[in-house]
Amino acid sequence: MLRSGQGSCLLRAAHRYFEVSNLTDKGSADLNAAPQSRARSAITAIQKGFADSGYIASDAIATVVYLAQALSKPVLVEGPPGVGKTELAKACATLFDKPLIRLQCYEGLDEARALYEWKYGKQLLYTQVLKEKLGDLMAGAHGLKESIARLHEFDDTFFNEEFLEPRPLLKALWAEHGAVLLIDEIDKSDQEFEAFLLELLSDYQISIPEIGTVRAKHPPLVVLTSNNTREIGDALKRRCLHLYIPFPDSPLEQRIIESRVPELEAHLRTQLVAFVQGLRALDLKKVPAVSETIDWARTLLLLHAQELDAQLVRSTLNVLLKFQDDIENVDAEIPALTRAAAKR
Amino acid sequence: MTQALANFIKALRAADVRVSTAESIDAAAAVDRVGFDERGLLKLALGQVLAKNVDDKARFDACFEAYFSSAQTPAPPAASTDNDAGAAADPAAEADAADGGAAAAGAGGNGGSGEALESLLESTDGSALQQRIAMAARNVQLQNIRLFTQRGMYIRRILEQLDIDALDDTLIALSRADEDDPRALRLRERKAQLIETIAEQVDRELLLYAANAGQRLREEVLQRTPLARIEMRDFKTMHELVRRLAKRLIALHARRRHVARRGRLDVRHTIRRNIEYDGLMFDTVWKRVRVDRPKVVAVCDVSGSVAQVARFLLLFLYSVSEVIPKVRSFAFSNYLGEVTELFETRPVEDAIAATLHDWGMGATDYGGALAELERLAGEDIDHRTTVLILGDARSNYSDPGDRALRRIHARARRVLWLNPEPRALWDSGDSEMRKLGTCCDRVEPCRSIVHLERIISEIARTAV
Repeated sequence: MLRSGQGSCLLRAAHRYFEVSNLTDKGSADLNAAPQSRARSAITAIQKGFADSGYIASDAIATVVYLAQALSKPVLVEGPPGVGKTELAKACATLFDKPLIRLQCYEGLDEARALYEWKYGKQLLYTQVLKEKLGDLMAGAHGLKESIARLHEFDDTFFNEEFLEPRPLLKALWAEHGAVLLIDEIDKSDQEFEAFLLELLSDYQISIPEIGTVRAKHPPLVVLTSNNTREIGDALKRRCLHLYIPFPDSPLEQRIIESRVPELEAHLRTQLVAFVQGLRALDLKKVPAVSETIDWARTLLLLHAQELDAQLVRSTLNVLLKFQDDIENVDAEIPALTRAAAKR
Repeated sequence: MTQALANFIKALRAADVRVSTAESIDAAAAVDRVGFDERGLLKLALGQVLAKNVDDKARFDACFEAYFSSAQTPAPPAASTDNDAGAAADPAAEADAADGGAAAAGAGGNGGSGEALESLLESTDGSALQQRIAMAARNVQLQNIRLFTQRGMYIRRILEQLDIDALDDTLIALSRADEDDPRALRLRERKAQLIETIAEQVDRELLLYAANAGQRLREEVLQRTPLARIEMRDFKTMHELVRRLAKRLIALHARRRHVARRGRLDVRHTIRRNIEYDGLMFDTVWKRVRVDRPKVVAVCDVSGSVAQVARFLLLFLYSVSEVIPKVRSFAFSNYLGEVTELFETRPVEDAIAATLHDWGMGATDYGGALAELERLAGEDIDHRTTVLILGDARSNYSDPGDRALRRIHARARRVLWLNPEPRALWDSGDSEMRKLGTCCDRVEPCRSIVHLERIISEIARTAV
């Protein structure tokens, strides 16, 4: 992101590499080449592409992106808040160079917000215009029956694509060169909405009563995220690949910090990650996630910290922990945790 | 290869991972892309296609390791001893093997199935034998094994498939000619090893396909067993059962609450309010379904007479407080005390042990307990409260407290009494069910998990 010129160049290379491997994947089914080596190279390419755009992906994440492309299936991503679920969709959009279309779910979200809406204003305006034209059209028609017959000769003027206001889902289907569709926090929506998504997820199509079925020109890559505030229905899960992103282990988290906050010195980074990993083992109301670790790293950078010590940790702990209870509970543990982290 | 995948899915299902047909098709497509060779990649890919929640992922991981380690076991232990023995008496053995092999194939009439068993046993190549065993296992459909009692049968069938009878005939013929024929001794040793290998494989498959079946059967039985007769060692399973039940009920009733909250246009009020705007519907009023917060006051008898079931009644109470948001819990034997906080803050086993320790094992005093309940929670009991009493109503011939209960009944929305004794025993001896029962809206026996489920569901439905 910072090294944009060089980065995007690399990115395009990775992208092309991926597409090439993807093509061979489809083309050479009969050539009997070992499929796993192709799969492996495609996955490595994805990982590299992600890394170039600043998203450090584990094997599992890269595999799911590969499978989603290869089998053209949506991905349901679950995991604790702040581990990069939404970020994954954004990274996919950058990697495949496709627009990201985002639908944020909430309770009471309905199809008028998610799929389409008629442009009522425009329709009203057209009726006004048509009223004036109607006289000319009807000229020479005898009786009501004939007038109606003449009206029927015209297509349905008001309910066609002209008057359709596309919302995220329809936009994703209409996208000319495919898109990455992010349906964020699906667990916040109602069960009815979940059921409504099923058609989209399995066939990449949606039925609009007044028009008919809208099919995707180019199946979008769909990423759904969930924080598991409620159990997602089996029907939806069955249609998706399922990815669980846990908190990263220490080496992965270090790489993430390295990529996101490159200015931070290596030894401070090690200490910081060790401290956060230690913190996660404690019994907390809200465990600090990766995004909080990144924020903390930025904070330490701003403060020009050289070394992690108890005083520094105490004064900046509110970046990591979001509940007063947690901060108070952790207070006694800070010296021990800092010491353990400093040894690393 | 597809057979391997199909069997793996079967094993997954046996391990309680729900895999639909559509998902198995996806799995096959994923395997097509990823291949079987790189195990890490295969595991990731199949995990993403087949296991769709965190519990399933854990089960999937265990199952994957078990299945694919057994599918690709290294050469059996027989192979190593083979080399030593083979080196000692090589040329003679080889010649004999060729002869014997041909004879056995002719005698057994087992043409077409490749080499005869004895030559396989004598050869140093363990993998050929391994292959034969795998094939035989497939032929007898070892993956259908369900019970450990079938173990012997499957071992026998595999041996029959391998044509063990021909081998036995040869052995008898050999030892008849010469008691200490070295070849016969060696063959006998190999045969013992072979049986061991097969037994191992059968055990592995049993573990894979049937380990969970026993557990499931047990749970089913536990659900119907009277609470008093459940052993302590089943407590964990019981808790798991009750918790699962609670979870299901939460899901069911949480949904109902959402629906109830949604309003419709209240036409009358809208018209009334919009009179000032000349009757134009400007300011809309929505009908609101009042969500009355279900309140439950639960009282549990933990005295000596219900000592057997007190633990499970408390477990039940604990799960009620998990399902329904506002529960005040009390426990009593000779005195009554509130345990709400204990239940909210401590894990289930701790909470139950502490309750039993603090309040348990005294002589029951229903009169005192109900009076105390009235004093402690009387103000909290109103027209929305469900009072739930768990106990056997045996009050040691003292005051049953029916007057106090009648007053509570008058204030509460309803009073439910769950009795862990079967109906036939009510009113016998010091049981005061008849007196106390008249002060309740409903009296139900609560003897097993099945009863429990019915009752919680009913409370949750009508309490919302």
